[in-house]
Amino acid sequence: MNSRLLLRTAWWLALLVILGSREALADRFDLIQKRGTLIVGVKSDYPPFGMLDANGQLIGFEPDLAAELAYRLGVQAQLVAVSSTNRLQKLEEGAIDVVIATLGDTPQRRQIATLIEPNYYASGVTVVAPPNARLSSWADLRGKKVCAIQGAYFNRSMAQRFLLDLQIFNGTRDAKLALRDGRCVAWLYDDTGIVGALSDPEWANYETPLPATMISPWAMAIAASERGLRLERTIADVIADWHHSGWLIRTEQRWGIHPSRFLAEMRELWTRASPVGGMVCARLPTGEWPAECRNKSLLTSTDVSGLQHVGLLIKERTGLNLTILYDAYDRDLFLHGLSMTLRLMVGSIAGSLILGCLGALTAERVPFLGGLARLLAALGRMTPPLLLIYLVFFGVGHIVVTRYGWTFDGSVIAIFCLSLYTGCAVLFALLEACAVLKNQNPGFALGGRSLARALRLAYAPVIASLVNVVKATGMASAIAVPELISASTAIVAEQGNAAVMMNVLMITYFLLVMGVVQFFNYLERRMRPHDAD
Amino acid sequence: MTPIEIAHILVVWTPFLAGGFVWNILISLVAMVIGTVLGAALARLRLARRKSIARASLVVTELTRNIPTFVFLFYLAFLIPAEFEVSGQIYLFPAWLKAALALSVAVVGFVSDNLFVAWQHWRSDNHLAALLFIPSWTMYLLIIVMASSTASVIGVGEIVSRCNVVIAAVGGDEMMIWVYAYAISYFFGFCFPLNWAMGRVKQRLLARVSTTPLQPVERSTEERLEINGRNLP
Repeated sequence: MNSRLLLRTAWWLALLVILGSREALADRFDLIQKRGTLIVGVKSDYPPFGMLDANGQLIGFEPDLAAELAYRLGVQAQLVAVSSTNRLQKLEEGAIDVVIATLGDTPQRRQIATLIEPNYYASGVTVVAPPNARLSSWADLRGKKVCAIQGAYFNRSMAQRFLLDLQIFNGTRDAKLALRDGRCVAWLYDDTGIVGALSDPEWANYETPLPATMISPWAMAIAASERGLRLERTIADVIADWHHSGWLIRTEQRWGIHPSRFLAEMRELWTRASPVGGMVCARLPTGEWPAECRNKSLLTSTDVSGLQHVGLLIKERTGLNLTILYDAYDRDLFLHGLSMTLRLMVGSIAGSLILGCLGALTAERVPFLGGLARLLAALGRMTPPLLLIYLVFFGVGHIVVTRYGWTFDGSVIAIFCLSLYTGCAVLFALLEACAVLKNQNPGFALGGRSLARALRLAYAPVIASLVNVVKATGMASAIAVPELISASTAIVAEQGNAAVMMNVLMITYFLLVMGVVQFFNYLERRMRPHDAD
Repeated sequence: MTPIEIAHILVVWTPFLAGGFVWNILISLVAMVIGTVLGAALARLRLARRKSIARASLVVTELTRNIPTFVFLFYLAFLIPAEFEVSGQIYLFPAWLKAALALSVAVVGFVSDNLFVAWQHWRSDNHLAALLFIPSWTMYLLIIVMASSTASVIGVGEIVSRCNVVIAAVGGDEMMIWVYAYAISYFFGFCFPLNWAMGRVKQRLLARVSTTPLQPVERSTEERLEINGRNLP
């Protein structure tokens, strides 16, 4: 053989090998296919998501995901135990292909690795409470002593968002003991860690009565260099299919994990049909998922358009997180709260006037009930309206439910109680006016026509009382009526934007009160000509 | 549950609930002190010679009248940190103090309006009419005591939140109505006698004032005092 030809062939071969290996380095997908195994980093200390069985094998929810993912890629899965501190480092080194290890999806992590959307699971924060703790919402824990563990990432935010009085302990054991001894009413914990922490039979009857909050989605991760390449796209399609088929929910069930709301919501989202045909969550021509199918907390203003774009732009430029502007869910929540508050205001004004007038007529016209009406009105004025709301909603409400099976809407009870309290003030104002009118005309008697005269005379104090009841409508939030305060605290709980939301709430309420005052001033001006005659 | 059992439970928990009511009074007194100091300053400014200062003070008073204290309570609870650090030293900002601050806003408006009128009376040597401020102030304290029950929504351990603790501890749903009714009796027992006594003082003062001839202008301010006195939290 010609030596020159040999040299040339060798040269070409070398070039091919170099180019070939370049190709393999650039696309991990091919490497995985070639080697026939997918190396996956999973947790070994986080039951039941990732743990060791009696034979030292890695098993759990995430190893099942790894096996299924490898199957879809047509290769074998090889599991490697990773920890929270080394999982991304091993990925960067190339020791593993994919991380499926309870990794929360955050902007910082997106800088150092490729986090795959859609997210496959989510953890949240919840509380463990002794049986019969009577906790029905997070608001029940305001100001209460709640045990927590030093260093948990959510401690500070939870204390701020729900006004908890956190008792910080060094470790799980101390916090559990404190809860058992009643030194705190509940124990703040990651909802995915609870199964492991409460495996002891002694804790079997402890409950997790509250829905998880501060939901943090988990993402699978591949190396930063794989961004936009085949591996990312393939894994993303597999996860999307898992959400679509409900396979993740079945796997969760198999491991006895408490059903996660996140998976149910994702299933709904990824099976939703688009009105224009096809699925809502189908890849756009650019290859990306539509904004509504992505992790909302990580979207930026360039990902979206319209009102959402404006809201996110404000957030990025000024730091003001006006979620009610760009998040459809929060916006609905707030607008519903606003309409409920308006209904409470109108209802309380009408109720106070009706009860006040009826009371005054009873006190003036009915001979024997007059004294009683005055006494009850005095009692009503000396009863804090919030206590009255509790008394009627819980105390009377419980008796009515158990005896007759009737339940009342919280907003109706709030309107009734606020009207009763303010009605008593209206009643006294009317009685004072009657006294003045009787002084002027001894034959005066309160009746249908003369009520209008008494009201006109008592206009100022009656209006002052009505403005007061408008200001007090927020008390309905104490019995979980979904009005403005409830809506705002719920948004703060989810988004952590207390400063923005509290200012929005304050300004909205202030404007509402101003509006009511202006309306009554307008009425007064309209009434004046009548006063002249 | 028999009435005797119910009464027994209430008696057992009385020291705990009464301790809560002491907090209600304390919060109210602190709110009154803060509100009176600030309100007095506003009232003084409203009497200022310079029109602009008097107007500004009136605007601030109007503002405090339109702020709903219940909403303001949440505002302060969320926006004032529970603890803060000043040069290495950590200071606590307890929830009860936030409640007192929120309630004091209503007091500012009340004191600004009423002290303004009283001051005018005093200046025109109508001392008795000026003294009317004292029973009005005390009656307003009672209103604030009732409003202090709202501190429970941000977790202050006053009587209403202690009611909820008792209900959770006793466990009987039937007890709820009695525990709440019992708490209401505290407010009634405290407020009714004081309110009645102050009403009498006010009537006496008014009777003595009306024996001295009043100017028509002062009659109308008298009426305004009555209206503004109803500016509740």
